[in-house]
Amino acid sequence: MAACVFLSSCGGESRDDGVTRISVLTWRPNSPATWQEAIDRFHERNPDVEVILETGPSSSTQLHDMLSQRLRNRDTSVDVFVMDVVWPPEFAEVGWALPLDGSFPEEERELFFDGCVEAVTWKGSVYGVPFFLDAGVLFCRSDLLEKYGLPVPETWGQLVAAADSVLKGEDDPALYGYSAQMAQYEGLICNMLELTGSAGGSLMEPESPEALRALRFARDSLVHLDGMTPPGILTYREQESLELFASGGAVFHRNWPYAWALCADPEMSQVAGKVVISILPRFPEGESVSALGGWSFGVSAYSAHPDEAFRFISFMTSEEVQRLFAAEVGKPPARRSLYADSLVLAANPHFQEMEAVFENAVPRPGSPLYPQVSNRLQGFLHSAIGESEGSIPAMAEEAGRDIREILDRLEE
Amino acid sequence: MGIIMMAPAVLFLCGFLVFPVLSTMVNSLYRDSPLTGREFCGLDNYRRLAGDGQALDTMEFTFIFVMASVSLEMAAGVLIALAINRVVTGRGFFRASVILPWAVPTVVAAIMWKYIFNDQYGIVNYLLHGDSLRMYSAWLARPSTARLAIILADVWKSSSFVALIALAGLQTVPEELMEAARMDGAGPSRRFFRITLPLIRPALLVALLFRVMDAFRVFDLVYVMTQGAPSGKTGVLQFFGYLKMFPEQQYGYGSAVAVVVFLIIAVLSVILVRTLGRRMMTE
Repeated sequence: MAACVFLSSCGGESRDDGVTRISVLTWRPNSPATWQEAIDRFHERNPDVEVILETGPSSSTQLHDMLSQRLRNRDTSVDVFVMDVVWPPEFAEVGWALPLDGSFPEEERELFFDGCVEAVTWKGSVYGVPFFLDAGVLFCRSDLLEKYGLPVPETWGQLVAAADSVLKGEDDPALYGYSAQMAQYEGLICNMLELTGSAGGSLMEPESPEALRALRFARDSLVHLDGMTPPGILTYREQESLELFASGGAVFHRNWPYAWALCADPEMSQVAGKVVISILPRFPEGESVSALGGWSFGVSAYSAHPDEAFRFISFMTSEEVQRLFAAEVGKPPARRSLYADSLVLAANPHFQEMEAVFENAVPRPGSPLYPQVSNRLQGFLHSAIGESEGSIPAMAEEAGRDIREILDRLEE
Repeated sequence: MGIIMMAPAVLFLCGFLVFPVLSTMVNSLYRDSPLTGREFCGLDNYRRLAGDGQALDTMEFTFIFVMASVSLEMAAGVLIALAINRVVTGRGFFRASVILPWAVPTVVAAIMWKYIFNDQYGIVNYLLHGDSLRMYSAWLARPSTARLAIILADVWKSSSFVALIALAGLQTVPEELMEAARMDGAGPSRRFFRITLPLIRPALLVALLFRVMDAFRVFDLVYVMTQGAPSGKTGVLQFFGYLKMFPEQQYGYGSAVAVVVFLIIAVLSVILVRTLGRRMMTE
């Protein structure tokens, strides 16, 4: 009896009807209809495979908790899973994700953005196929910039100066200069990676003069400059920061490209038609840097049907499905060719200019111990920019030491 | 025969209580993560814990949280119980409404309090500053006010539990005793401290025991309201243990945190139960 219950609770088993069932674990999608459409099309062409979609939590950290628990217990009920851009080194090193070098060969990889392929590569092998990518971009209120004769800012200094002029001119207590993601979570790392990188520094060396400069700027000119950011900026994730911008509460906004569709929708946004999208600012002597985000598909090492699983992955990452997701949900495709696709560009006119941003997006440090590095960095960054009195160099030195210690532990 | 009769209870206890506790203790002596594999490391995890700045920050807040929230809950709970005890009509209705916060799942309560303290549309900012938006502050962004907010949320939720137990205690206070005291000219505060409080003390000690144990295990309020930000200053031990155990997958280190929480609660419970027992005996 117990065995029966056990067996029937496992997905992925073949029954007598000759159909192979594979189970796919993903986050709770914002767009279930598009997922269904893609799966229906897959079923049409692959009558011998049935896909069972299992949706997990929408937060990346929570999905990681759930998936890693199951893989740790060698759970065979997941065949295919989505991977956040920072997971593959861990999944590869531990042996949870199957290497896909044979089925995802070099010439196929060249069709994807380099950053996306780099993210699924660990020690020379690939462990996933990129689905879509993300990269930080700047949203600006074009109506306000026009009103005050200001250009789209190219440097962080210009951004603060421009916001200042607009705030002085508008004299609206509900209007702030800049809205971004600065709560203590993964998004803070992306925001700070962009600031630090555009000063020529690296998050892995927070005590370098370049990194310190970016941190001081974030603390003194963004978080603690009166009126520049809302008081709650240190608790904002994507949603809160976007709500503020979409309700007309900020001149500038840093977010992922998905925010475009929401900003442009007059039903969801009070700033529809008054927004331009641009590359992120830089420091005068640096280059604009966007953090690379995005997701890929991997095959579980414990899957009983790796071939069918890969067939599904290669369908989901095909031009056809990436086009579908780009056109219907605004997900930036991981395949280069789609940035010249008329259907994709009709739905996302900004993709054309953004191609260079996606091409140059910077991945977060790749390490199998990334979750530990991330937690340490999150705490450090949040304290450094949040405490107006704290000594940033001292905190940075301690954080840098801790991070290197975590990474050294792996070497042992 | 006796052994057979006792076996189910003993097995149940072993299976669901002793075994998990022991296995967590054993796990805490290993360095264990999917990457490094599992290897015995003695008390290394505890040594590391003692020197971990973030752990010490969370430890500090855990103690502050327990002391502040439990003492406020005890005071508020007794006041609520006294008030309800005086209500003559509709006592059932009032009693039911007192349990309401206790019946709300903590996660829901935490989300509600997160909105209450929101920097843009939170009611706290509105009550304090009205329409002067520029005066609004982000309660959950600064360590001191975020700590206060978490404590308040817990007081709101758990005072009702203390009130309920105190109310049960109050019903056992004989009316004749109060009548006699009144005749002898004892004022309300004298009656409360000399008669009511000593008589409901056993009930209050039970409430105290439960609250202290419960408060040490706080997790959901912190998880929803601040995630321990900044850098663990509003974190509690249980949340710290979760971070190590799940997102970071350091099972040994996370187990060590769990064992420390368990030991603290166990020691405190023993102290409380012993005083409780002695008081019960002497009175």
